[in-house]
Amino acid sequence: MESSNADSVPSQIIEVRPNRRLFNLELGAVWRYRELLYFLIWRDFKVRYKQAAIGVAWAVVQPVFMVIIFTVVFGNFAKIPSDGIPYPLFAFTALLPWTYFSEAVRRGSMSLADDSELIRKIYFPRLIIPLAMVVGPMVDFLVSFLVLAALLVWYGVMPTWGVVFLPLFVFIALILALAVALWLGPVNVRFRDIKHTLPLLLQTWMYASPIVYPLSIVPEQWKLLYSLNPMVGVIEGFRWALLGTGNPDFVAMSLSAGFVLLVLLGGIVYFKRMERFFADVI
Amino acid sequence: MKQNFAIEAEKLSKRYSLGTSHSRHDTLRDLLVDRVKKLLHRNAQSQFHSEAFWALKDATFAVERGENVGIIGLNGAGKSTLLKILSRITEPTEGTARIAGRVGALLEVGTGFHWELTGRENVYLYGAILGMSKAEITRKFDTIVSFAGIKDFIDTPVKRYSSGMYVRLAFAVAAHMEPEILLLDEVLSVGDLTFQRKCMEFARELQRRNATILFISHNMFSIKAMCPRVIYLKQGQIQFDGPTDEGIKLYEEDCQLSTVSWWKEKKPSEWPIFITGVELFDEKGNAKTVFDHGERMRVLVKYKTRQPVEAPNFIVAFIRSDGVQACVYSSEADGVVIDRVSGEGAVELLTPPLKLVAETYSVNILVRKKGFQDVLCAQVGSTFHVRHDFLDIHFGMFHEPGQWLWESRSGFAQAH
Repeated sequence: MESSNADSVPSQIIEVRPNRRLFNLELGAVWRYRELLYFLIWRDFKVRYKQAAIGVAWAVVQPVFMVIIFTVVFGNFAKIPSDGIPYPLFAFTALLPWTYFSEAVRRGSMSLADDSELIRKIYFPRLIIPLAMVVGPMVDFLVSFLVLAALLVWYGVMPTWGVVFLPLFVFIALILALAVALWLGPVNVRFRDIKHTLPLLLQTWMYASPIVYPLSIVPEQWKLLYSLNPMVGVIEGFRWALLGTGNPDFVAMSLSAGFVLLVLLGGIVYFKRMERFFADVI
Repeated sequence: MKQNFAIEAEKLSKRYSLGTSHSRHDTLRDLLVDRVKKLLHRNAQSQFHSEAFWALKDATFAVERGENVGIIGLNGAGKSTLLKILSRITEPTEGTARIAGRVGALLEVGTGFHWELTGRENVYLYGAILGMSKAEITRKFDTIVSFAGIKDFIDTPVKRYSSGMYVRLAFAVAAHMEPEILLLDEVLSVGDLTFQRKCMEFARELQRRNATILFISHNMFSIKAMCPRVIYLKQGQIQFDGPTDEGIKLYEEDCQLSTVSWWKEKKPSEWPIFITGVELFDEKGNAKTVFDHGERMRVLVKYKTRQPVEAPNFIVAFIRSDGVQACVYSSEADGVVIDRVSGEGAVELLTPPLKLVAETYSVNILVRKKGFQDVLCAQVGSTFHVRHDFLDIHFGMFHEPGQWLWESRSGFAQAH
């Protein structure tokens, strides 16, 4: 405020009182602090790859490594079908959104506890923290995407017109990760058990998604239930858009998208409820 | 609506349940175990959750625009809780506050700095955390860096900074928030003395621009220098709200003879001996609190016993305002044998000429068993100041003139 002198009118009036209203979500405050969101993402990115000799290339190493392992174990040894697509391509197309998702959930859920100093000493909309940590891995995602693009060229695979839907699939993954993080983050503030539970959860979730195997080998009677996992739609969507295989079930997908939105809304409400005690218990 | 208020607090209260702060459940297991216990023994439950204490209770006050208010009180009196509520870090349990204007809260300098990032990067990050926009930071960047005085290191990672540089940079960023209302928690006492002066100047500059300042400090000097009004908190409640001199007097009276903060082993009511008064005099016996460097001081310690104490070792310690234990006298170390005390009595210490540098010191009194064994009582006595024109903490803890020789063509000579 350049003009904070004697005659100026106070720029704002803030009311401090116990927040008892369930849906007082104060999303406007998040918008006003959007630059902090940017700086937190930027901080995380910088710090992550500082003093690492190959820097951001690490973002690629993990999925590539997994693709190699999956190709050898599931593609060559177990001979899991891949809908006629070269197995590395088949696996990478799925691992890309999955790696993003699991990183976003992991960082998003841990973030509050990691930034406990900030929470104890400085006011800002707390939602910014999980939000930043969920958006952050998007950078790594984009870098790995370049590798996938190279792989597509190498195998001579032409993406379908469905590629225009890719941003939508990515967005669903982001919203889902945020929703999960909003539920787990506040729990982790009090109970650091989440740190130990999370790898189990993510691993189970990974095998409950069509990453190492195609959706087509899921028994028909389970398919609808199976498709309620929103990551099924995202991953199948990726394969459909880029490889032209699979056949995403748009009905199941809309269902699960609606479900994701509900979880997100619940997550925000829950987060806002719990937020009031962060500084006291963290 | 009243035009002139900056802060209006009404019955602000904050309750902490001991279940979350003291015996808090760190793992889910603890909570589950506790819950199960509760189910099984309906009455055995209460120790976790129903024990609550009010860190702040019914704080009602109004601060006008441009007013500077000092907040004083012993540790745990609710000072920080009050600022945390006003800065919206935590929510009040009850009550409301209305705050008119852009708030800058500085409860700790440099929270949010990242060790791996450079000074430049941290200026932006910290600025954003404090609520400044990127454009604003860019505009003020040069001023911030020159205020901190670390121009040459601005592109060095902060982990290579000395702690002084780090604090200076952090404070420089915070100082440029240009808030209308500034909430400060004991942060003006960071860094070296030159920088502290800079901080005080900065606070005065804000005063000139009619900013409202709420300022927590244990340093009564800076409170007096900055605030015409104080709010004195005691056990979560506003004990006094009014002119600074009066408030500080009350506070210092209460401060005296409270237990020192680091010793919590026994309840004061169980001490075999306790101090009932500490008075300071000059050599001639005039009561005073400001001593010249080089002056001798008499410390009169009055005690009372609950049971006879064999061979007590009386200890008088001078603690500088930044917490440094500057000087300690012990009856036993000085070869004085006090064989047995019971009932009421007094001991007096006459110090050698005080060589401490100019600063504020508080007197702590300890009584130990012979041979520096168990502490029998540990209390905070009064406060005094040492005065000198230039011998301040730049000269270390104490100062005595040295002898100098210098070499010249005619050989060694004594310097005069």
